[in-house]
Amino acid sequence: MDYPHVFSPGRIGPLTAKNRIKYAATETNFNTQDGFVTDKEIAYLAAQAKGGAGIVTTQGAYPDLPGEGKGFRGTMSIAHDSFIPGLAKLAAAIKENGALSCLQILHCGREGGVDLDYCLMPSVVPQRLSYFKPPREMTAAEIGQAVKDHAAAARRAVEAGFDMIELSGIVGYLISTFISRYTNKREDTYGGETLRERCRLMVEVLGAVRAEAGDRVPVGIRLCGAEILEDRGGNTLEESIESFAIAEEAGAAFVSVTVGWHESSISVITRDVPMGHWLWVGERVKKAVSVPVMMAFRLFLPHIPEKAIAAGSIDFWEACRPMIADPELPQKAAEGREAEIVPCIACNLCFSRLYYHQPIMCTVRPSLGHEGEAAWGYYGFAPAGKKKRVGIVGGGPAGLQCAAVAGKKGHDVALWEKGTVLGGSVLLAARIDEGDEELLRPVRYLEGECRRAGVAVELGLECSPEVLAAAGLDTLVIASGAGFSRPLPGPCLDPVGIIGKGKKPGKSVLVLGGDGVGLATAVYLLRTGDYAITIVEASGRLGRDVSPFYLWRYLKLFRERGVVTLTRAKVSAGPRRAVAVTTPKGEQTIDVDDIVTAVRQTSEDLKSLYARCAPEIYLLGDAKRPRRLHNAIHDGYRLGLQL
Amino acid sequence: MMPRIDEDACTGCGKCIEVCPPLAIHLEDGKARIEEEFCEECGFCAAACPVSAIGIPFPKSGAS
Repeated sequence: MDYPHVFSPGRIGPLTAKNRIKYAATETNFNTQDGFVTDKEIAYLAAQAKGGAGIVTTQGAYPDLPGEGKGFRGTMSIAHDSFIPGLAKLAAAIKENGALSCLQILHCGREGGVDLDYCLMPSVVPQRLSYFKPPREMTAAEIGQAVKDHAAAARRAVEAGFDMIELSGIVGYLISTFISRYTNKREDTYGGETLRERCRLMVEVLGAVRAEAGDRVPVGIRLCGAEILEDRGGNTLEESIESFAIAEEAGAAFVSVTVGWHESSISVITRDVPMGHWLWVGERVKKAVSVPVMMAFRLFLPHIPEKAIAAGSIDFWEACRPMIADPELPQKAAEGREAEIVPCIACNLCFSRLYYHQPIMCTVRPSLGHEGEAAWGYYGFAPAGKKKRVGIVGGGPAGLQCAAVAGKKGHDVALWEKGTVLGGSVLLAARIDEGDEELLRPVRYLEGECRRAGVAVELGLECSPEVLAAAGLDTLVIASGAGFSRPLPGPCLDPVGIIGKGKKPGKSVLVLGGDGVGLATAVYLLRTGDYAITIVEASGRLGRDVSPFYLWRYLKLFRERGVVTLTRAKVSAGPRRAVAVTTPKGEQTIDVDDIVTAVRQTSEDLKSLYARCAPEIYLLGDAKRPRRLHNAIHDGYRLGLQL
Repeated sequence: MMPRIDEDACTGCGKCIEVCPPLAIHLEDGKARIEEEFCEECGFCAAACPVSAIGIPFPKSGAS
């Protein structure tokens, strides 16, 4: 056993978890708009429990009937007894599969009221993020009701059969907004200059919930260990740490340490934050309390929490995103099969979809949300009816994923890559920004999947139609990626040349195309040299296909480095190396040393070129239409299922 | 969930086209159309539509 501390039993109040892994609360948008648990949610959490975690936490259920505490459209409710049967099924699904079941009660406060036109806060502090609802100050009666709602929710959680209860007071949710000086300006007994005064709501809620939960059901709380709101007058670090001690005093049986609010202005959970970066916050909390301390936040690889638990920095390893990507992470780590773990790349596709009223989705695990549907293969693929000879051209993520699934279904699969390394465009993406080398993890994982599925991988082979026609294929899959358009005459660089082959442009660079590829190329240049960059985008929007969790960083870098961005822009060739750019604001001529074309296109009609190579031909990933990594992987997975 | 476009409400302004990551929306007879094969159901279009002509059909249980 490589992780003896992670896989040692852990006590929480009267309970013993079989190991120190807790699947942490994660909203999914899988449930109905009126708050009822769905079969999809049950199958998802059953998978989490089956995967081997000691504790599986539900998503935060909102405790109030009007939905002021509801943060996402498909969040489950615990505001009425009619929700108990669904919640009971959820508890049973977790327990039957070997984990302790923990129900989280979550009033979203500043981030609540998703279906209403307001949200509730201790004081009116205007929203910084446009998505959230205008705040309304809670009356004393409403605060009293919130405490009662939490207590009634706890009673329902116990009736539904949950082993543990967790409260959430983090990131801008109700309890955190009372604790923080930034959002609590009240002059009554729920506010005040001292932390203890601002913790009154938390203490009352903990007391009321514990009274309902009784001695056998431990109640814990998630709190913010470092708000990162110094620029807005938030709590000091010392205050945040002390809030955990106050929670312990109020009877919390365990605490979970989080970092940052959703409106904090630095990176907290993206790839540029090194794994394990925030453990010092957990360590501080650990010194302040004697109950078990849990923590998530960029602890993606098991050796990191192993070391932290061994060192006494934390007691339990919490995981959200790494276990969305692979619920079997615990089991695979325990069995020494780390290479088989589907690796989270912190892209936050899951998270960002919640704000658009869509169920979570995972770049690297297309079966997310389909755990209960046999056809999606989460628990293994049904063998194909007829064994086919499948040839796949291109060893990027689309081709690799398709090959892995087709191979696991029993097809005879060959994958040909013209380069000497697998990974396709990911090889370039992995060089852009700090931490982006993590993008290579899914490539290595998929290589392993192909090996385990018996796929014959051949590198350095360029596949002409003649070669393929002689291969005796039943199915040909073209996943050879996209090329770049050449809208201007004369020499042009492209991202493959610059990022992949190390070509250095002159100082003044015009980047054609402002989607993810154009922006990434500009970021790469700025990180590797001193360039004057102009980015020209035909549409009205830069970074259309870039995750908002990363886009703000890139745009900030552009501002700092004086990058000029022109949207709704058309280009035409000027004299010598000058380029004429027309935007709605007028025309300008830009002198440039080099032009980089980052506008992707599928280079030719591939299907007709290869028409005679196999009876069935499919295009995948960027060869089908230039898009993003998740599209490539999902295209590959779905086609694999279909073959 | 696949977004639904209310053609009567759609003004053909094209805002949805600009925010669609896989470029799966185009105008047809002045109305937004989604190419379902490419739609990744992100919901950006619904959030960007200035006249709320695009909806995400979120399921209700009917139990309440």
